[in-house]
Amino acid sequence: MLVLLVALAACGKPAEAPPPWKVVDASTLRALMASDKGLLVFNTMSEIECLDHRIPGTQCLACEEIESNITLLPADKDQVIVFYCESAGCYRSCRGAGAAVKAGYRQVHVLDRGMPAWKQAGYSMESIERIPRGSIQSVRASALKQMIAERKDLLLVDVRSEQSYREGHIEGAVNFPLYRLSRSYAEIPLDRTLVLIDDQGFRTFLAGSYMEMKGYRVMRLFGGMQSWQEMLAAK
Amino acid sequence: MKIEARQRRKGFRAGLLLLAVFAVICLPVTAPAAEDCRFCHDEPLYRVDFNHSIHAGNGCTSCHVGITNVEKHRDGKEKPAPVNCGSCHQEIAKEYRNNFHYIQEDFRCSDCHRNIHAIKQDKNKNIKLAIIEKCTECHGNSDYTTSGHGEAVLKGNQDAAACSDCHGHHDTRVFHTSLEQYPVEARDFYTQKCKRCHADSAMMKRNNLSDKMVTYYEGTYHGKVQELGYPAPVAGCGDCHTKHNILPKEDPRSSIHPDNLEANCGRCHTGFHTRFLSYQAHPDYTDRAKYPALYVTFLLMGALLVGTLAFFWVHTILWWRKVYWEHDRMEREGIVPPSAVATGEGQQQVERFTVKYRIMHVLLVLSFFTLVLTGFPLKYAGTEWAQTITRLWGGAHMAGLFHRGAAFVLIVGMAYVSLESLRFLFPRGEGKKGWLGRLLGPDSLFPNLKDLQDFKGMIRWFFNKGEPPKFDRWTYWEKFDFLAVFWGMFAIGGSGILLWKPEWSSYLVPGWVMNIAALVHSEEALLAALFIFTIHFFNTHFIPNKFPMDRLIFTGTYRLEELKEQRPLEYERLIAEGRLESMKREHTSIPLKLISATFGLGSLLLGMFLTVAILWSILFG
Repeated sequence: MLVLLVALAACGKPAEAPPPWKVVDASTLRALMASDKGLLVFNTMSEIECLDHRIPGTQCLACEEIESNITLLPADKDQVIVFYCESAGCYRSCRGAGAAVKAGYRQVHVLDRGMPAWKQAGYSMESIERIPRGSIQSVRASALKQMIAERKDLLLVDVRSEQSYREGHIEGAVNFPLYRLSRSYAEIPLDRTLVLIDDQGFRTFLAGSYMEMKGYRVMRLFGGMQSWQEMLAAK
Repeated sequence: MKIEARQRRKGFRAGLLLLAVFAVICLPVTAPAAEDCRFCHDEPLYRVDFNHSIHAGNGCTSCHVGITNVEKHRDGKEKPAPVNCGSCHQEIAKEYRNNFHYIQEDFRCSDCHRNIHAIKQDKNKNIKLAIIEKCTECHGNSDYTTSGHGEAVLKGNQDAAACSDCHGHHDTRVFHTSLEQYPVEARDFYTQKCKRCHADSAMMKRNNLSDKMVTYYEGTYHGKVQELGYPAPVAGCGDCHTKHNILPKEDPRSSIHPDNLEANCGRCHTGFHTRFLSYQAHPDYTDRAKYPALYVTFLLMGALLVGTLAFFWVHTILWWRKVYWEHDRMEREGIVPPSAVATGEGQQQVERFTVKYRIMHVLLVLSFFTLVLTGFPLKYAGTEWAQTITRLWGGAHMAGLFHRGAAFVLIVGMAYVSLESLRFLFPRGEGKKGWLGRLLGPDSLFPNLKDLQDFKGMIRWFFNKGEPPKFDRWTYWEKFDFLAVFWGMFAIGGSGILLWKPEWSSYLVPGWVMNIAALVHSEEALLAALFIFTIHFFNTHFIPNKFPMDRLIFTGTYRLEELKEQRPLEYERLIAEGRLESMKREHTSIPLKLISATFGLGSLLLGMFLTVAILWSILFG
């Protein structure tokens, strides 16, 4: 009886639909780029990150800006377009390839496992405007909570997308999405110590180094909003 | 003078021309010399410090490749390519390709080795300290720097682990432990890192620490599953000792301080009584003062193991010797045993085991092999064969499920045999009347005085001092087989049930009893397996007059002549009681014979293989 129930439960589980784009691995992409110099390959990270390091011969087009800049993509909907980002994790918040598919492109590809796969294969990178790596201290969620209570000179800067910010953020945090931080950072006051907050803690180091380069004092939240929420849940 | 001057000028020009030709031919793309670079890049760092640095022997363009013409470079028309340290430091570059800092944040060499132009080799430099200083520029881990290893390094201890000793140096792994991704790989990786130093005798001695902790940990369930390489979620070092705040248990900040143990164990185990916490995570069985109960159990189990095996091995060898020599004598003298040439009624098949007991034996065989094949890989977790068998089961977790399933079958069988035994002693209608007679009677599996006489008789026969004793239904070694399983079920079954769900067991017994249960379970299992595979197999199947196997337990019948020869007293009783006629059966069918032979021989071969594997592991593992 139990076995039957388990079997029924397994059958009832809907199969996950395959993504509407094709996956291409690093060595295939490299070969494709070598044979077709005009191949459109987009780095979907923020401008800050993309100009710091990207796969040579690729273009910067932040994921969050694809829909509003869809005219940047070619008119021919059958042209091959490849998207890639820093890691598999960055698809969670934004799927650049999804926006292109939605706009009607039929030959959309995504680099399997993103830039890490390219790097691990030993292929080179290029830097257009490399940011000097700073010494950005990371604070754990519990320590940050204490610091917020004790210090008045902190400014929490949430660099996630507007939508993620709207869905929930740390009280008092201001939203400066990373994808347009290079254009908006000057609005942030210089007399406070910034605490940068992202989804999982992977993107604030480079953003922090950028802000330090621009003259700010910066810290970052270790593990991002995920660890903040885990800290709250644990309590 | 003029001529001389002109000639000198001519010579100078010719010299220049020659030099130019030489330059064009021999050095077509010769990089500018360091002096050329320093003409513009004239900071003291490049003019002075670099010349004293470890890279001083290299020109500027050894690293800043791509400049072929100073003028072009000066005019901004030629830029150097990014520095590739890997063109010399190839091994490091290879390692670095998988470094977390490179993969995730695109760190380049100079992001950590910032002062690269002035870097010097300093033999007196405290490398560990320098590494800690470098890592904590970003990773301000106060847990680490104010306690345990970090504190020791800062105080000058060169053995204590700096960041890179655990996390890797140029090959810092991508585990994303902050997200609890790759928990299995991370646990395995870091546990190996801990073991590397804590099993180093010289290092542990220098630091007044025990070098046996790793061995003791590897002797526990946690350590064995971890070592098996198909890890179910069991505690690695860092799960109990935490990752950075590693302190002795006397320190109130330590995760293993008695006040913190409940929370510490509670991160994996739930629903336990506080006496669960007295479980010893890596005890030393031989430490009489610290673990007296474990020490005594260890000695007793060892004595039981060695005593039982030694006694029966000697018994089996003597028996085999006698039968073999006897066979040889009969061969020489042309004597054929009566059972081999039996005719007429001697050929008649007589039942010894009913279908019920044959099925029970098959179930016993199957569950026993499942238990051995799932349990022993854990006992000898470090060996190749153990890992192969575990892989075949589909990992340690699956093996554990099969182990419990087989244990359940065996426990049900054991309960049924107990019930049967009670029914035998107190049959319906008769009650308690005559139970002692039945207990010590010829149909009982309980030992009696005749067994002692039979044993003496056998020993005399082994040494050619008399005829072999006449047996009734059960020989003394068959009774031992039966009772050994019975005793073994209490020892293995009892300890196994305690270990099945240790959190629940803690409501019955304290945690340290779990250490004893684990020891008893393991040692008794070894005794059971070796007893069955060497003594039972030899006594019942490999003895020369039955080699290679006796099908009797599977077919259930044997020839009347064999009954007369092997169990004459039973034969006489059957005749006297007039029961022989009711025990006569048809000859075994070919399919049953084939199945019996296949199953039996398969079991014997598997048992032999396991014996070799176990003995190999004990002797060389």
